[in-house]
Amino acid sequence: MSSIRVNPYPMPDLLAALEDLQQQQNTATLELSSGSSINKPSDNPAGAAQLVQITAQSSQVDSYQQSISSIGGQLSTADSTLDSVVAELQRAISLGVEGANGTLSETDRTGVANELTGIQAQLLSLANTSYQGQYIFAGTGITQPFVADPTQASGVRYDGNSGTNSVTIGNGYQLQVNLPGSQIFNGPAGADVFQAMNDLITGMQSNTGISTAVTELGTALSYVSGQQVFYGNAVDQTQSQQTYLAAQSLGLSQQENAVGAANLAAVASQVENDQIATSATLEAIGKMPQTSLFDYLR
Amino acid sequence: MGSLYGALSIATGALGAEQGALDATTNNVANVNTPGYSRLQPVLVESNPIEVGSVTYGTGVSLEKLQSLRDPILQMRIQEETQQQGQLNASLTALQQTQTQFTTSSGDIGTEISNFFSSLNQISTDPTNLALRQGALTAAGNMATAFNNVANNLGQQRLSLDSNVSQDVSQINVLTGQIATLNSQIGELQGVNQDASALVDQRDVLIGNLSNLVDVSSIQSNNGLTLTTSNGTALVVGGQSFALSTQTNASGVQDIYSEGTDITDDLTSGDLAGLLQTRDQTIPGLLSNLDTLAAGLSNALNTANQQGFDLNGNAGANLFVPPPASGQGAAASMAVAITDPALIAASSDGTAGSNGNITVLAAVQNQPMAGSQSPTDYYSNIVYTVGNDVSNDTAELTASQSILSQLQDQNNSISGVSLDEEAANTVQFQNAYDAAANIVTTINDMLYTVINMDTLTV
Repeated sequence: MSSIRVNPYPMPDLLAALEDLQQQQNTATLELSSGSSINKPSDNPAGAAQLVQITAQSSQVDSYQQSISSIGGQLSTADSTLDSVVAELQRAISLGVEGANGTLSETDRTGVANELTGIQAQLLSLANTSYQGQYIFAGTGITQPFVADPTQASGVRYDGNSGTNSVTIGNGYQLQVNLPGSQIFNGPAGADVFQAMNDLITGMQSNTGISTAVTELGTALSYVSGQQVFYGNAVDQTQSQQTYLAAQSLGLSQQENAVGAANLAAVASQVENDQIATSATLEAIGKMPQTSLFDYLR
Repeated sequence: MGSLYGALSIATGALGAEQGALDATTNNVANVNTPGYSRLQPVLVESNPIEVGSVTYGTGVSLEKLQSLRDPILQMRIQEETQQQGQLNASLTALQQTQTQFTTSSGDIGTEISNFFSSLNQISTDPTNLALRQGALTAAGNMATAFNNVANNLGQQRLSLDSNVSQDVSQINVLTGQIATLNSQIGELQGVNQDASALVDQRDVLIGNLSNLVDVSSIQSNNGLTLTTSNGTALVVGGQSFALSTQTNASGVQDIYSEGTDITDDLTSGDLAGLLQTRDQTIPGLLSNLDTLAAGLSNALNTANQQGFDLNGNAGANLFVPPPASGQGAAASMAVAITDPALIAASSDGTAGSNGNITVLAAVQNQPMAGSQSPTDYYSNIVYTVGNDVSNDTAELTASQSILSQLQDQNNSISGVSLDEEAANTVQFQNAYDAAANIVTTINDMLYTVINMDTLTV
């Protein structure tokens, strides 16, 4: 025979082709149902490794966002507490100015002094503000930071410490989240809130040095306002970081889609093509000669 | 000189030859679906002529033999490719199981590492909060469990591969025994010039099965067929087979011995080699990477925790049970050392409200540890390696399958039975038989004429 002899058993090849098509359809169906083109590392090894990284980064971003919302309450509590402190101090200053102009009777001054003592108590309470069970002006201490103590010149003792805490709210971004109470309320000489208040109360009672005490209280007020800026800034920083993190999170999920999401249109048409190929193969098998030359030799 | 008897003998010879040829066709048709059957082809040769004076008389046809059509070189290629495929199949099947452990899911190692560091970070927002601390401790436990699970599953898989190794060895021994028996039978038949093609076909099927399991080289010599592994270990020499045996080695798995020699590392293809490669290299390699990662994390987090102070103001102790110094088994044995969440050393100065050391602990997530890579980078490399191994093996297996199917097509085009062809042959041989029978009748008539010549009336 001159021509090349043909393989008389085409069936195994056709069955193998059917199996391949079945496998392709299974993979495509899995992609369609999971919406992901990487359902196991071998589907795209580099992509799978990238997904591990992206997932880790997303989880980090989530954790920064969670941290921001956790410290947000503490920061705004501190900020509004200091607002109240400033308001109280302003009220004390107007009372002091009233007392300093010399028109008040002794009884009136005693009344003012009592009112100032009330403000002093209010300030002490504000300085001991806590958020979720934690004193916010105690440094890194956990006990009540400001305690009334007659042995002190200012009448108030600071039991907190000078520690500060920082919280990570971005890669390598550490935000300081507190100022020790001593830094806010016990400013440098002449700017100590409790000392100034004490001086004013004493001055009012004895009707001496009221103006000096009012000036001192003014210094303390502007010092506290200066410290309050820290909390305002911190809140601003968390807000802008929140925006940045939201964008980063969006970017990461886009990246995740780019790497791992199934191209549904492509996969769906792949499934359709596979189905056509399957029917064609089945038809080819069905059309294979069921007879041989033997059937015709009669 | 031609004679009637001479012609008769030529015709009867032709009857025999065509009948023999038809036998071959019948046998082919009967074995059309027999695996490994090589079709028979009758070899008809012209008998030696007789010269009488200047005239040369033909002496007819004889059936020299029924030749079994096979291409030994092609069959050897098929065996080689079958070995390749056996190896790839074994390692791929195993790796496909392995890779499910590294698929990104809610509980995989990568996710648990991230979860742990996230909950650790949360402590910094409220360091005295016991619920946050407990959350971090639970996440640490989940991370350790993820390592334990993957390491234990890999260990289990290694043991089940090991039992497959033993099964392969006993299957190899059965096959080599059968091949040796066939070798002797074939030798005996060939010794008396008998056709042994049926036994050769059977032997080819067995060698094919053996090739799927182990790398076989076959050498045909005068003493029969010799089968060795590619490094030269004898499996079958003529009528004798050499059984392989297994022996438990120091790491608790089976080594393979032939005649007292350890040949475990010498096997290069076939299912057995694929199993051994996965059992002895791929899985231990993965385990060792996981150990490096687990030990690196445990050690780095312990060091970080020791730099700080716990909620009670005491210096931090170990967060995780210290891994073995060699690192071996670190993933399987990774465990959290503390149960009291207060013992997480969040404080950097001993005050309870300080969170300064959380930064140190959390920094472990991004700082280089194993092989100058961060834990996440290191883990993503492991995932890449596993995925790449499976993907490469799949590609190689697909290529090997397509080569093998082409080789088999080619082999079938030589050895396979075509019913159309056999039908045509039947017609051809039948016609020739009919013609020869007609000639016998004619000669018979002629002989009748000769014998009754004297009684004929002219």
